[in-house]
Amino acid sequence: MTISIFQAVLLGIFACLASLPGMGGTTIGNYTLGRPLVGGLVVGIILGNLQLGIIVGAAIQVVYIALVTPGGTVSADVRAVTYIGIPLAMLSISAQGLDPSSDAATGLAAALGAAVGTLGTVLFYGTATLNLVWQGIGWKAVEGGRWDNIKKTIPMVETVLPWVSHILFSFIPTVVICMAGPTMVDLMKEYLPMDGLAMKTLFTVGSLLPAVGVGILCKQVITKPLDWVTFAVGFLLAAVMGCNLIASAIIAVFFALINFEIQSVKTNRPALAAQAASVDDDDEEDI
Amino acid sequence: MAELKKTSESARKASFLHWIYGNLTCFSQEHMQTFGYLWAMLPIVDELYESDDEKVEALRTYTTFFNTEPQIGTMVVGLTVGLEEARANGEPMDAETINGIRAGLMGPLAGLGDSIIVGTFIPILLGIALGLSTGGNPLGPIFYIVAWNVLMYFGMKFAYNQGYSLGGSAVEALVGPQSAALRSSIVMVGTMVIGAVAATWINISTSFAVEFGADSSFALQNTLDGIMPKALNFFFVWLCWWLMTKKKISPTIVMLILVIVALVGCITIPGINTSIFNPGLSY
Repeated sequence: MTISIFQAVLLGIFACLASLPGMGGTTIGNYTLGRPLVGGLVVGIILGNLQLGIIVGAAIQVVYIALVTPGGTVSADVRAVTYIGIPLAMLSISAQGLDPSSDAATGLAAALGAAVGTLGTVLFYGTATLNLVWQGIGWKAVEGGRWDNIKKTIPMVETVLPWVSHILFSFIPTVVICMAGPTMVDLMKEYLPMDGLAMKTLFTVGSLLPAVGVGILCKQVITKPLDWVTFAVGFLLAAVMGCNLIASAIIAVFFALINFEIQSVKTNRPALAAQAASVDDDDEEDI
Repeated sequence: MAELKKTSESARKASFLHWIYGNLTCFSQEHMQTFGYLWAMLPIVDELYESDDEKVEALRTYTTFFNTEPQIGTMVVGLTVGLEEARANGEPMDAETINGIRAGLMGPLAGLGDSIIVGTFIPILLGIALGLSTGGNPLGPIFYIVAWNVLMYFGMKFAYNQGYSLGGSAVEALVGPQSAALRSSIVMVGTMVIGAVAATWINISTSFAVEFGADSSFALQNTLDGIMPKALNFFFVWLCWWLMTKKKISPTIVMLILVIVALVGCITIPGINTSIFNPGLSY
């Protein structure tokens, strides 16, 4: 498996669209094209191996299942994870002849994705910094106070000029790294034997990393110690009772419905108590 | 008295589309979503005011810093369109008031959007999509693309129109008493699904085993399975959560810690010839 210049260019364009901040917009760009699972489909189509693309995308997706970027602080860059990590992982898996659906293949994919994702934060800061220049052009127009000029400049600042940032920090890095990919993978195979400490560590890291993604999710939803019980119920549904995610979600919705009823009653209680008091019936207040 | 000024349907549509596409296209660390906001207000201001000077003056209101979760933040844009209309009709609505409302909303809505949309809704959709994509099935990603974009487009349109027509009370509705029950229930579904994800999509096992003789051996994984199946998954998720929440360590550093854990765990312990982790692979 190799990547032609034409395929690398396509990957580069998708990297521009899928970045945060990206040219595809937030909803379609970052949150759709930038998700590794969707990227797996796109890269799979571009490289002509749909099944492998989606398996690799899914493995990397688990690590980044809840990539929240509050206030624009990034821990991993989606353009690099998705449009550099997935193609490289696909190349390595097919070069090493691994079974795509094996734990080894998904572990390798997760580790590679995380490695380029962390490097990719450099690309994020590069893009955001160069955008300062285009915003400067916008400020000049707003301060100038000529409406026809403002009306022309702001759409330019929003839709045209940031492409320059992306050619430098999304397009070129993606094309260069993806083109160098096959040789990089060959070198890796030669210098890093599978039973050596380096490769063992890489695969072990791949199996540990999804815990970070899930840990970030827990950070969002677990606020008090007893929330771990709710978490544990979901965990045991899958680990002990063998429920898949859809079945677990339906059971979760059932519990949430009960919770909603209880919470609603709680918030309505002052009104109920007032009603009970107005009919002057002491017995009903204890309900 | 002249007729009341009102924005046209098409101007509001243009403003909506400008925002949902452009909220982050020209992002910088200094002025995050400010230019997206300016672009979204451009068609509104252009239509509501007669002279160029008035237009420039009105648009300058929106040059203050703005940043929130952009998708739920659509509501703020709709809201300011309503406020701008009131101002164009001579209501006592000055730039300070508009910016006060904007600044008051962007923080809470960012927290709400990050936890409910990005932290809960996307992972639930992705969890279902991951389940559907087992073995490389394209149904998974296609489900996510369609479900997410359709729900988000109509959700954001709803938020924009709600913000526009209801004004300040639209946002109060989201933080009112009944919505607290709704939010805690949504978070509850999220927590349980995340628990199931932790058991389904993580595979951590130990290879630590010692042979004492021909008939006697000890395998740590069997002992752990006796305590709770997939106990190591649970432990490592808890560990990552603890490091990030209680020790305030960034996700990048947590990843580095796990690299060190993996490296140390893969070193063969001399004497008993075993290691804590061993993927047991060959080319």
